[in-house]
Amino acid sequence: MSLADIHVRAERFQSRIGQRNLIEYIAAASVVGVFGWFALTIPLAIAQLGSLLIIAGALYVTWKLRSIAGGQQKDPAVSWADFHRSELMRQRDALRSVWRWYLGPLLPGFLVFVAGVVFAPENPAPLLAKLAMLVSVLGFGAAVFGFIGWINAIGAKRLDQEIAKLDAARR
Amino acid sequence: MRDEPSQDERYLAAADEFGPALQRLARASEANPERQRDLLQDMHVALWRSLNGFDGRCSMRTWVYRVAHNVAASHVDRERRSRRGLVTLDEIDQLPDAADIGADYETNDQVARLNAIIRQLKQPDRQIITLYLEELDAASIAEIVGLSPGAVATRISRFKSNLARLFRETNHV
Repeated sequence: MSLADIHVRAERFQSRIGQRNLIEYIAAASVVGVFGWFALTIPLAIAQLGSLLIIAGALYVTWKLRSIAGGQQKDPAVSWADFHRSELMRQRDALRSVWRWYLGPLLPGFLVFVAGVVFAPENPAPLLAKLAMLVSVLGFGAAVFGFIGWINAIGAKRLDQEIAKLDAARR
Repeated sequence: MRDEPSQDERYLAAADEFGPALQRLARASEANPERQRDLLQDMHVALWRSLNGFDGRCSMRTWVYRVAHNVAASHVDRERRSRRGLVTLDEIDQLPDAADIGADYETNDQVARLNAIIRQLKQPDRQIITLYLEELDAASIAEIVGLSPGAVATRISRFKSNLARLFRETNHV
């Protein structure tokens, strides 16, 4: 390979990095699209507020995902062990703090949206039924959120074990 | 006072000295000749880019091998996402059949099978074995990979005994 070819190929490499970010933007745009449509079409102020809060939460999660992933600028001459260890720690810390940056930001919007829909004036159900509906949906939501938190805690523990194994092989 | 070599000068010197080793690494990482060529080119580009920031923290040999192996590892990860999984040294339980590994890519059957085994390995085993086949000692390999010399020597010893067993089993079939 000539030096000129190397220079050309190196420039092409830089432009490929920009394409990777597109996928993240598309995912965020989907959430904004769906809940933005709810906010515009559901004639209920509280549900609209809930939709906007979910959008804000999703945008925050997207930004956080980017900063977590982007924080790992790879040194081209880093050793496999150094890079692998910092990757494991980054993933472990992200899993440990999942309530703070992934589940937590979505919670307010979820609560407000659900409450808004259940207690909508158009809902003809008696108050007790509405409360039962609310409790069921919140219970289901709590189960899902709790399950995600639990799975992530197990994942974080496994990563701790991998880090310990790697440290032992470096001594 | 002697001027520092430029990025291009460093690259040309490194490519001259380590070019054949990079070719062997590309061959050990990728069976398909076309993708092998792409991988080799990617290694050279990455090496050239990296030498802009060469800070003398390690020898040029260690630097070159780290950069090249990191490129090869990324390539393998990308390919693995669309193909079958990789294994550790202990999980290899049989030699690939010559017919399965595209023996038309390589004329020497033993080398073809060895490369096919290496391609199945996960990191860091893959990196360690490839460097071992470049005749680097355990201490040099340890510096490149970032593990202790003892951990490297253990993996090499495990690889040699697994390989001997696999080839013995094949010969008895």
